[in-house]
Amino acid sequence: MKRFIKDIRKYFRYSVVSARSQLRSEVANSYLNWLWWVLEPFCFMLIYTFMFGYVFGAKEPYFPVFIFIGISMWDFFNRMLKGSVKIVKNNKSIVSKVYLPKYILVLTKLWVNGFKMLVSFIIVFLMMLVWNVPLSWYLLGAVPAALLLLLFSFGCSCWLLHYGVFVEDLSNVVNIVLRMLFYLTGIFYNVAKRIPAPYGELMTRYNPMAFILVQMRNALLYEKAPEWGLTAVWLFVSLLLTCTGIRKIYQSENSYVKMI
Amino acid sequence: MEKKEIALDVRGLCISYQSLKSYSIKKNLLTFRKDKTERFEAVKHVSFVVPKGNILGIVGRNGSGKSTLLNAIAGIFAPDSGRIDLKGNSVSLLSIGVGFQKELSGRENILLSGMLLGFTEKEVLEKSEEIIHFAELGEFIDAPVRTYSSGMYSKLAFSITAILETDIMLIDEVLSVGDSKFKKKSLNKMKHLIMDEDRTVLIVSHSSETLAELCDSVMWLHDGEVRMFGQTEEVLSSYESFMSR
Repeated sequence: MKRFIKDIRKYFRYSVVSARSQLRSEVANSYLNWLWWVLEPFCFMLIYTFMFGYVFGAKEPYFPVFIFIGISMWDFFNRMLKGSVKIVKNNKSIVSKVYLPKYILVLTKLWVNGFKMLVSFIIVFLMMLVWNVPLSWYLLGAVPAALLLLLFSFGCSCWLLHYGVFVEDLSNVVNIVLRMLFYLTGIFYNVAKRIPAPYGELMTRYNPMAFILVQMRNALLYEKAPEWGLTAVWLFVSLLLTCTGIRKIYQSENSYVKMI
Repeated sequence: MEKKEIALDVRGLCISYQSLKSYSIKKNLLTFRKDKTERFEAVKHVSFVVPKGNILGIVGRNGSGKSTLLNAIAGIFAPDSGRIDLKGNSVSLLSIGVGFQKELSGRENILLSGMLLGFTEKEVLEKSEEIIHFAELGEFIDAPVRTYSSGMYSKLAFSITAILETDIMLIDEVLSVGDSKFKKKSLNKMKHLIMDEDRTVLIVSHSSETLAELCDSVMWLHDGEVRMFGQTEEVLSSYESFMSR
């Protein structure tokens, strides 16, 4: 714990600077790149709106915004987890030349992907204005939901970083699991309504991603207060994941370099 | 004789690479036999101390554990047993190339590598002009590192570690960097750095001439063990005769 605080203080600035440089170079490499951070989820939103709104006749209030929130948050989670499986290998040039706590790499990714999510949430906000979503104090409920998303993704990523070093084909498994989660999370439909009771309700509560998504949509679109109790439970779980993950990394990070 | 301050204290250091075959779910499903765990000891019970300001050369055949030793001192590997005491000194490993992120520009890489070496953002920025000047990259400094030629790459790498000075420098294979002009310049800079009274230096090299010129003492590693440690001439001559056998 003491070591964690010392390291975080030492390397925090590094992760921010590194993330900033990465974002900047993405933009510099092609002028339209930052546009893609927005365009990609936007196009998917159009596709899903068409497929599920018209072909399958799904009806949710503010359906396009509903989907866009889902995609933005899912993209973040997806990028974090997929990215962290091979993160040590991909940063081999740094890791094999100088010591840094390996979760700092995850932290850097968190800033990069978090920033992209922020950009697409600006679009969400604009869309809310266009669709005349009523604005109220309930919007503040987005804060705990976002916090939970960040912490949960970070915790999962730490563990994936660790096992990604030792298990060669972990990325295949992670892809399958993520795809399954993608459909179970209700990016483009309302889980609670579409899946027969009581399973739908249960899934929104015990699938953390679905839960986070519901909380976020409730706050932004439907003027509902967050479920504080369950939010606290999931926050605790995420915190536990993060702490154990960081401890695991500390214990075994020195053998990572020997592996790659 | 006055007693000199000790900069680096290595005790009973062992490092082994053990069963480092990575695990694969696929393989595990398809085969039932257990992989044998192989253990390869790269460094065995190495102990030595280096007084502050000293220059220690390390010689040995390929695969005798020299680079592993340096990596361990730089903190990249943890020792399996034994300990390394840096006495609070900052340390940098000057091998060919610091860790660069290929997509980023040279300038940004200077900042990032500098911060990883333990300098603050401000300190690095202050020195960065000097680094850029020393590296002679011209306008390439703002291009992504992946566009660099290998010579430019190592010139930049050398300049960063040479200008951002640390208390202990670990030099893996005395550098032959860049064109002949830069080579001369870097060798001079090197000597200048190494000769600094307060700097402790560990050099791994195969060139006995360089070591004879620079080092205060030499350690000979053989199969992960210290075979000889002592006066430069003495160790080098027996190493030479051993190698020419």
